[in-house]
Amino acid sequence: MRNTAIIGCGQTKHSSRRRDVNLAELVEEAVYNALEDAGLTMDEVDAFVVGNMQGFGGVAQPEQWLGDWIGAPGKPVLRIATGGTTGGSVGQGGYYAVSSGLYDKVVAVAWEKHSDSKEPGATMGLAHVGIANMFHALGYGLSLKSLIASAGVGAAAGVAVYQARFYMHRSGCTMEHFDMVAARLRRNAAKNKYAHLQWPNCKPEDIAKTEIVAYPFRYGHVCPASDGASAIVVASQDVALKKCKKPAWFKGVASYSDEENQLQSENYGGVGVLDSSEQMGARVSAKMAYKQAGIIDPRKEIDVAELYTPFPSQEFIFSEKMGLFDEGQAWKATEAGETEIEGKMPLTPSGGVNATNAIGSSALQRILEAGLQVMGKAEEHQVPKKVRNALAHGWGGNTNYITVTVLGDSPRR
Amino acid sequence: MVKKVAIVGYAQTHHERDMQKTREDMVFDVSREALANAGILREDVDTVITASTDFLDGRTISNVFLSMAVGAHLKDESKVEEDGAMALHYALMRILTGNHDIALVEAHTQSTTFNPHQISFYTLDPLFDRQIGLLNDVSASAIQANMYMNAYDVSEEHLAEVAVKNLTNAANNAYVQRKMPDLSIEEVLNSKVYYEPIRELTMSPISDGACVLIIASEGAAREITDNPVWIEGVGSCQDGYLRDKDLKSLDSLKKAANDAYEMAGIKDPFVELDVAEVSERYAHEELMIYEALGLCREGKGKVLIEREVTDIYGEMPVNPSGGALAADPICATGLVRVVEAAKQIRGEANGCQIPDVKRALAHGQFGICAQKNIVYVLGSEG
Amino acid sequence: MGYIKDERPQTMMVDGDWQIGAYTYKAPKLVEEFVAGLKEKKIIGSLCMGCGKVIVPPRRVCGRCHRMMEGRQVVSNRGTVTSFIVSPPVKEGKMIIFGIDAVGSGAIKEGSVIIPAFVRFDGSDANVGTEILNVDAKDVYVGMRVEAVWEEKPQGMLSDLLGVEPLKDGE
Repeated sequence: MRNTAIIGCGQTKHSSRRRDVNLAELVEEAVYNALEDAGLTMDEVDAFVVGNMQGFGGVAQPEQWLGDWIGAPGKPVLRIATGGTTGGSVGQGGYYAVSSGLYDKVVAVAWEKHSDSKEPGATMGLAHVGIANMFHALGYGLSLKSLIASAGVGAAAGVAVYQARFYMHRSGCTMEHFDMVAARLRRNAAKNKYAHLQWPNCKPEDIAKTEIVAYPFRYGHVCPASDGASAIVVASQDVALKKCKKPAWFKGVASYSDEENQLQSENYGGVGVLDSSEQMGARVSAKMAYKQAGIIDPRKEIDVAELYTPFPSQEFIFSEKMGLFDEGQAWKATEAGETEIEGKMPLTPSGGVNATNAIGSSALQRILEAGLQVMGKAEEHQVPKKVRNALAHGWGGNTNYITVTVLGDSPRR
Repeated sequence: MVKKVAIVGYAQTHHERDMQKTREDMVFDVSREALANAGILREDVDTVITASTDFLDGRTISNVFLSMAVGAHLKDESKVEEDGAMALHYALMRILTGNHDIALVEAHTQSTTFNPHQISFYTLDPLFDRQIGLLNDVSASAIQANMYMNAYDVSEEHLAEVAVKNLTNAANNAYVQRKMPDLSIEEVLNSKVYYEPIRELTMSPISDGACVLIIASEGAAREITDNPVWIEGVGSCQDGYLRDKDLKSLDSLKKAANDAYEMAGIKDPFVELDVAEVSERYAHEELMIYEALGLCREGKGKVLIEREVTDIYGEMPVNPSGGALAADPICATGLVRVVEAAKQIRGEANGCQIPDVKRALAHGQFGICAQKNIVYVLGSEG
Repeated sequence: MGYIKDERPQTMMVDGDWQIGAYTYKAPKLVEEFVAGLKEKKIIGSLCMGCGKVIVPPRRVCGRCHRMMEGRQVVSNRGTVTSFIVSPPVKEGKMIIFGIDAVGSGAIKEGSVIIPAFVRFDGSDANVGTEILNVDAKDVYVGMRVEAVWEEKPQGMLSDLLGVEPLKDGE
């Protein structure tokens, strides 16, 4: 088994409208930053792994057009796309490309340019899932009121609102806990120069003042739709040891998928998971990733976790599935301040998806940020302790696709 | 190749213009068939890689409601958003890493969802080419064909000869859409013109179809089958964008083929390969493919077809299954080529069987004018 | 690490579109079975002969068993609320779906509150997405017992199942 590491990271500044660049230039910015960080030239790259959710930008197979901007001509390019966790799958694709022994230096880049879509926010690409599923149901007399009830009320939050309710019922957490998480993530984002929603002294009370979108979510809880790209340079052990003082080693990689668990399945059929906060796929992925990494007690051995949480309820749900807290107890750690950057179990010090959401790239950002923590390069949001193991997580699809990556400061034996 | 990986099972649908099955049913049936073909259970599979695109399938996250149908429940799953042959590349990487032993690769497209030729429009440069609105993959290929034919004095008859070869070969293949055992050159040259010189019968038909391939690491492969097909070499490459590269030769295919040959230890492909299954969406592409694969020199592709070298009874048979001209389920096409090449090695190609195949080549492509290419060299056990 | 530009002059913009309405999807006959059941005021699910799971509305493939769900099972008209959303009062201009205004089109009354919910009918192993009617939002809770509300004269359409309402006390 070949040891593989991240030797360089690059991101673009994320904002709601990067109107100063077109899609190709946006991606190029991230790749340029990553190569500069790794100390590699474009020629030295052996292969690319790319991805985004192409429905949002309206360009099909965009890497065929923008490949010229990132030095792809003449090299192998693999396109991976798995919904919200596209970035995570792309990062893992980079890992597999190098650890397979076929390539030594691979650039994994993922991006999204939501502002290209005239539809506000992320609706264009998401509307597609809705239309495709509801299309023939409309032919069977699905009433407009029903359609609006299911599609409209959830609005931006949709899928996650039901999931939050399941969790609240089981665990006893309240909306105030969501306020605390959202405030912390916005504060963290203020320490991350690439993040989108930066709110330096955000307090839970500030979040609590925002309007309710759909109980239990407020506007302050909902993630933005950002333009941005992120890229990592993945290298084999030999290259990493030569080029990088402190690489972030891949120690565990897993992406187990579960049944769809929220909307009706294709063609209006029901879905097989009753409680969408149960997340069996997340549990299995975490277990498998920890096994590969040789981690027995994640609570003691994981020093920082970058979780994919567009909504605060998901931080509780997924941190529990990752084994960082007992079932139904995660919200207590937030109350106690344990999840702050200086806390016992710092969660998402970068501000995470709740503060910056360029869908295609956000899961790769989690791997990237976990890598920065291991490499000690997270600048203002670096956790003030020795990072031996960092966890990166992503979810996508119908919250049924999960990617879990464990990075560490030393290679697997 | 550091580690050995083999193909141990496969299945494909009967590709047709308008399959009376939903995506879910189609993928379910072909996955079950492949597992049965390999003689393993869903529980034995470690990882699943699927291939389909959001634009072609008409839904964002095109695999989200197919995960169960393909058998990926609680399996390490990912999706490659291009040709199935590239998904195979990813699955291969996963096994070579050592994290997984058995991988299932699936690819499908139902062209009835949206005409792929119209989708190709969306792959163009949105800032310039899409604004002008003259290009799609057929018109761009016509430009490529004209460049190639002018540069090397290739005639329309040469293109028709490729079509006749492949479509008559296809008559022996149970799985394809277009079988024309009595096709003549005249008929091809009289078929409807799309963009000169591209005609109805010199371009692939768009199909509904799916294909599944199961691969395994050496140890697992030997337990599963006595007849593994070893993946001896792979090479993949992407060209520059349509307007920024030399259209009259398939440079990325040349590089991909050379990488695959190097890995497989092949010095003279014409001599060392027994059969090749290539993805020729247009007849002129096949001639260009001959050159890029090193089966003849630059510009001499027409000689191979004139002298019937690549016919089913020739010294270097190409596309005994009929190739993409016989059935083109877009994302599945490249993976089907791998399956057909594997069948040749296993002796399971039925009506299309070339005798005594020890080494085969399979090729997949994606993108306008074959912008991305991937090549596999497959070898038999002995 | 890397550069962040200080100045960001706006670049040129050009138009493009993507005709997502021009797609053709294939569907199985399952919804027909489901609405045929609704016409009889019955809720039908598919049953997996491998693991015994019942999924409502019926679907084709059981993921765990990797087999087709061949069986059919009628589930109870009564069930339990497993999750729900409470919308803020709907106002004109504030809820636009696929270009249609919720209030302006007459689909929803101005000021009303919609409660979409997941309901698990007794006997089913899946949630059905529907609406809770005839109730005050503050009285809804997870675990509430509900009963299906039907159209007066069901036509064999999805809208025959109007929603669910709380079971009366003592039922």
